[in-house]
Amino acid sequence: MVAWGRGARKGARKSGCGGEPLWIESMSSMTRARDATEAPFRDLERRLTRRRWAQLDLRLRVELVALALIVSGFLFWQARAPLDGLAHRGGPPAVVLAVAVVQVILAALAGVLAATRHARALRVGPPGPEWLALPVAPERLARHLAWDARQAGWAIGVPAAGVLAAAVGLIPAAWELALVAGSAWLLSVSSRLGAAVGQAWALGAAERRPGITPLACALGATSRPRRHRLRAATWSRTSPLWALVRKDIQLTGRLSAVARKAATAAMLWALALLAWGLPGEPALRHSAAFVLTLLAAASLAEWLAVLSGADPFAVLRGLPVGLAAVWGARFAWALLGLVLVVVGHAMAARELSTHALQVFLVWSGAATLGVATLGVNYGVTLFPRADLAQRLLGLALGLAVAASIMIPLSGWVVLWMAVIHSARRLTHWHRLEEA
Amino acid sequence: MLRVSTLTRRYGARVAVQDVSLVIASGEILGLLGANGAGKTTLIRAAAGLLPPDAGTIEVAGVNLWDQPVEARRRLGYAAEEPSFYEELSADEYLAFVAAVRGMEPKGARERAHALLERLGLEDRCGEPVHRFSHGMRKKLSFVATVLHRPAVLLCDEALEGFDAAGALEAKSELRSLAAAGSAVLFSSHVTEAIERLCDRVVVLHGGRIVRQLERAHWGAPERGPSPLEREFLTVAAGANP
Repeated sequence: MVAWGRGARKGARKSGCGGEPLWIESMSSMTRARDATEAPFRDLERRLTRRRWAQLDLRLRVELVALALIVSGFLFWQARAPLDGLAHRGGPPAVVLAVAVVQVILAALAGVLAATRHARALRVGPPGPEWLALPVAPERLARHLAWDARQAGWAIGVPAAGVLAAAVGLIPAAWELALVAGSAWLLSVSSRLGAAVGQAWALGAAERRPGITPLACALGATSRPRRHRLRAATWSRTSPLWALVRKDIQLTGRLSAVARKAATAAMLWALALLAWGLPGEPALRHSAAFVLTLLAAASLAEWLAVLSGADPFAVLRGLPVGLAAVWGARFAWALLGLVLVVVGHAMAARELSTHALQVFLVWSGAATLGVATLGVNYGVTLFPRADLAQRLLGLALGLAVAASIMIPLSGWVVLWMAVIHSARRLTHWHRLEEA
Repeated sequence: MLRVSTLTRRYGARVAVQDVSLVIASGEILGLLGANGAGKTTLIRAAAGLLPPDAGTIEVAGVNLWDQPVEARRRLGYAAEEPSFYEELSADEYLAFVAAVRGMEPKGARERAHALLERLGLEDRCGEPVHRFSHGMRKKLSFVATVLHRPAVLLCDEALEGFDAAGALEAKSELRSLAAAGSAVLFSSHVTEAIERLCDRVVVLHGGRIVRQLERAHWGAPERGPSPLEREFLTVAAGANP
C-alpha cells in the first residue's frame, strides 16, 4: 500500500515551478524545502531497500547468503591462525591492533566504493525519475544519491565479519564487542566520507554556469556527448559464428565494463607468465604462476558471461542464429585462452623438468578450459541475466576453491560437475524467455 | 505466408492471448488493431519466436517456428515496438552484423541498407553509435534491419510510431513493395489511420481474442499517397533539405 503521507503533500506544495529555481532561492526557503522533502525521501529510501531485497528470488537470496558465508568463512580460515600466533606472542592487545588495522583498511575500501559510485551517478546522471523536474533541492537529491552510493559499501561488512569472527576467543568479549561496534561505525563514517569525496570530485569536473550552483550544474548537465563517427563498418560474407565473434570484439572495445573484464584477464595471464621470473624458491614461483593462471581463467570466464549479457534479448532471439553459433562464438575464446595458457607457460616455465612442465600444463590448461567453459555456459543459459551468471560463476568457483582447500583435488570434481550441470540447459537455449 | 493456429499465451494467471488463429497470405498486409493491453505485442512477439506459446503453433513460410527456429527466422523480419540494439555499434556496423548473420551477400546488403537509410533520412548518421539516436531514428534503424533481407514474413509492432511524415511515407511504400513482391505482412498499430491506408484486411484483438475481422471494403479505399497536411510537411522538409 502506498502511503500518501503528510510529508509527501508538504513536499509537493513546495514546488518551485512558478518562480525562481530552488537552488537560487533564499536560505530560509531552502531550509523549508529541505524539511518538506525529508520525509518523502526517507520513505523512498526505506521502500527502495525493501523492494531491492524483495526483487531477489528465494534461490538468489540463498545463493547470496551462501556466498557471504563462503567469503567470510574463507577469511576466518585465513585470519584465525595468524591471529592465534599473535595472541601467543603479543597477547590480546596485539590481536586487537591487527584486527583494527584490517577493519580500517576494509572501511577505506567501502569509502572508495561509495566515492566512485556517487561520482559516477553525478557524472552520468542519477538513476530514477527526471529529478530536476521535481521540486527538490539539488542538495537533498545529492544526499539521496549519496545514500544510494553508500549501500554498496555495506557488502564490505561480509569480509569484515569474517576477520572479526577470527578474533573470537582470542580477546576478551568486551573488546570483541567494542571492535564490532567500532567496525560498524568505521564503515558508516568511511562510506559517508567517500560519498562526500566522490561528490567533490564530480563537482570539480562539472561544467560551470553563471548563477547556478555547481551541484545543480552537475545534476542538470545534459550528458549528450559530442557527435562522432566510428570507423566504417565491414560488410563481409561470414558465418553467424564469426559475425558474433567480430561483434564481440567490437563491443569489448567500446563497453568499458566489458573491456575491464577482458583487460583484467589479459593482465592476470601476463602476471602468471611473469611469475616464473620471481626470485626465491622454485615452489613459490610454481604456486604463484598456477594461482595467477586460475585468477586469469576466472576473469576470462567473467568476461565471457558479461559478453553474453551484452546481447540485447530481442536482437539475438530474432535473428537466425542457433545454439551452435552463440555458444561456439564464446567457446572459441575459451579455446584461445587454453592455447595462450599452454603456449605461454611452455615458453616461460623453462626451469621445470619435462614431466613437471607437462603436469603443470595439463593442470593449468584444464582449469582454464573448465572455468572458461563454465562462464560460457552460465552466460548463454542464463541470458540475458549476466548479473545472475556472474554470481553463479562466483559461487561455483568459490565452492571449488573451498573444496580444494578442505580436501585436496576435490575442487576439480566441483568444477567439472558445475560445467556438466550448466551444460544441461544449453539445448533449451531457443526456448528461454526474457527475464 | 504466416499461419498462427490456436495460439495461447499466459503470464502467470493472466491470459494475454487466447486461442488466436490467423493466416496471412503471401502478398497480403494484415492490420492488427487493438486497445493497449489487448494482446497485440504478445501475439507478435510469440509469432517472432521471442515468447514461447503455452499452446498453439506458428508456421513461417511453411516452417514450424518452434521446431526449426533458425530456419523460420531466416524467413522472418520483426520490427519491435521498443527496438533494442547493440548500442555501442554504429548503425552501419549493426546492419552489417545483421546482414552477416542472415547470410546476405555483402555488396548487395550494403547497397540496400544504404538505400533504405537514405530514403528514411538516416544516411548521414549511420556512422554514429546507436545510443546517440533519438527514438524516431532508432525506430527507423529497426525498420531497416527488419526489411533488409526482404523477409517472406514481416511482423511490424507499432513499427512506424515515432517516424516523421516523410519517413513514414517511405516506410509504407517499402512495405507495399515487399507485399507486392510476395511478403506476408502483419502490421500492428493502435493508429487506425495508418492501418486504413496500408492494410488489405484487419483483425481486431480484444482481451487476447480476435473479436472481429474486416475486409478493405468495410472502410473503403482512402487515398494511398500523402494527405494534404503531409504534403505541406513534405514541401517544407524539401525546402529545408534540398
